[in-house]
Amino acid sequence: MSWKLVLALALVARSAPLIAQNGNGSGTTRLAGRVPAAALPAIDSIIAAAAAESLPTEPLVQKALEGGAKNIPADRLVNGVRRGLLQLRQARAILSHAAPGQSPPEGHVVAVAAALARGLSGPIVERLLTLAPDEPPGPALHAAADLVAHHFDPDSAADLLVEAHNKGLRGVRLLDVAVAADHELQRPGGRTPSEALAHVRAMLPNLRQGRP
Amino acid sequence: MSPLDPRLQEALDGERDPGDLPADLRDAYARLNAVTHVLKATPPVSVASRVMAEIRENPAPVRGGGPARRLIHWLGRPRAVTVRLRPVWTLALAAGLATVLLLPWSNGGPTPGVAQGIASFVGHFPGARSVEVVGSFNDWSRGVLHLNDDDGDGIWHAKAVLPAGPHEYMFVVDGERWVSDPLAGRYVDDGFGAGQQNSLVIVRPVSAQP
Repeated sequence: MSWKLVLALALVARSAPLIAQNGNGSGTTRLAGRVPAAALPAIDSIIAAAAAESLPTEPLVQKALEGGAKNIPADRLVNGVRRGLLQLRQARAILSHAAPGQSPPEGHVVAVAAALARGLSGPIVERLLTLAPDEPPGPALHAAADLVAHHFDPDSAADLLVEAHNKGLRGVRLLDVAVAADHELQRPGGRTPSEALAHVRAMLPNLRQGRP
Repeated sequence: MSPLDPRLQEALDGERDPGDLPADLRDAYARLNAVTHVLKATPPVSVASRVMAEIRENPAPVRGGGPARRLIHWLGRPRAVTVRLRPVWTLALAAGLATVLLLPWSNGGPTPGVAQGIASFVGHFPGARSVEVVGSFNDWSRGVLHLNDDDGDGIWHAKAVLPAGPHEYMFVVDGERWVSDPLAGRYVDDGFGAGQQNSLVIVRPVSAQP
């Protein structure tokens, strides 16, 4: 066996799992054997509906795989996937309202749906979408969701993120705003949420890079 | 060696007419005379001598330049290399190469690409026999990413190279118990109606990591 052949075989074998991980493939094909057979037809029709509406289908496939891995009963699993479809629809409606006449990228739809799933309200999401229409909205939305999860007022959180963006923070650096605010909130002596936000605002844009 | 007959010697030296020799000596004279002719026909110099003479007459062109140029010339000149391999060593080398390429990254250091980052997973599960991470980054497949507790202190950990961005996940303890990561800091309802929460990690691309 020649060395070139050995090397080629090894490289092919090495790259095969990566292709399998990255390839989206057909949703229902990937679900076979991974979800209860009783749930497959309903899930299939939900995914088909999403595809017909030009909505991303990968989050729905992931939700079905998740339910299968967790041994969720078929009816609850289908409801979970259906709920995902509703969030994708709502996400696209918000995006269309924020930027009328434009077809939102799939990634933006997924990011907004994830923000809704984390509990952000439609108006807050829409406000953050107008912050930088050409940038991926995910980091700003997750930063806002982080702040809301730590009981900061949603409007105040959005205000702070708008200011951080105006002072030059972009992308995942916006997540540091939420980390810094949480830090301030937990300082010994105690700060109120509004005091914590005020301190972070005073530090902008010089925030330490926090954990992912 | 038998002595040469004096009459034959005289004939060879030209001092006697070969026709006067007896028949047996005449025959010997004829054979010796033929050998003498063959020896006279042999070239005066050897092949090696002629080759060296040719080289001297047509010397190779002298290349100019210093040691550096000669070194470059020496390095650039094609050479025939003969490698002799035993099949057993060939197979061993192939197996070693395949091992390096096929094995997952060791603890020494996963290397993320530009659109990837490193995610660390840590959990305190004293007494657990196994802990693994299952999430959207591995299609919620079991048996892909295991945490380790090498010193048995109950703190399980693993690192993984993941695509940059958000990923939902949960720990699976002892192969059956699904547990949220208490250190994740971000959670999202899994949407299946039982109030279970997935953990959320947002992987920063290497270019944005501190």
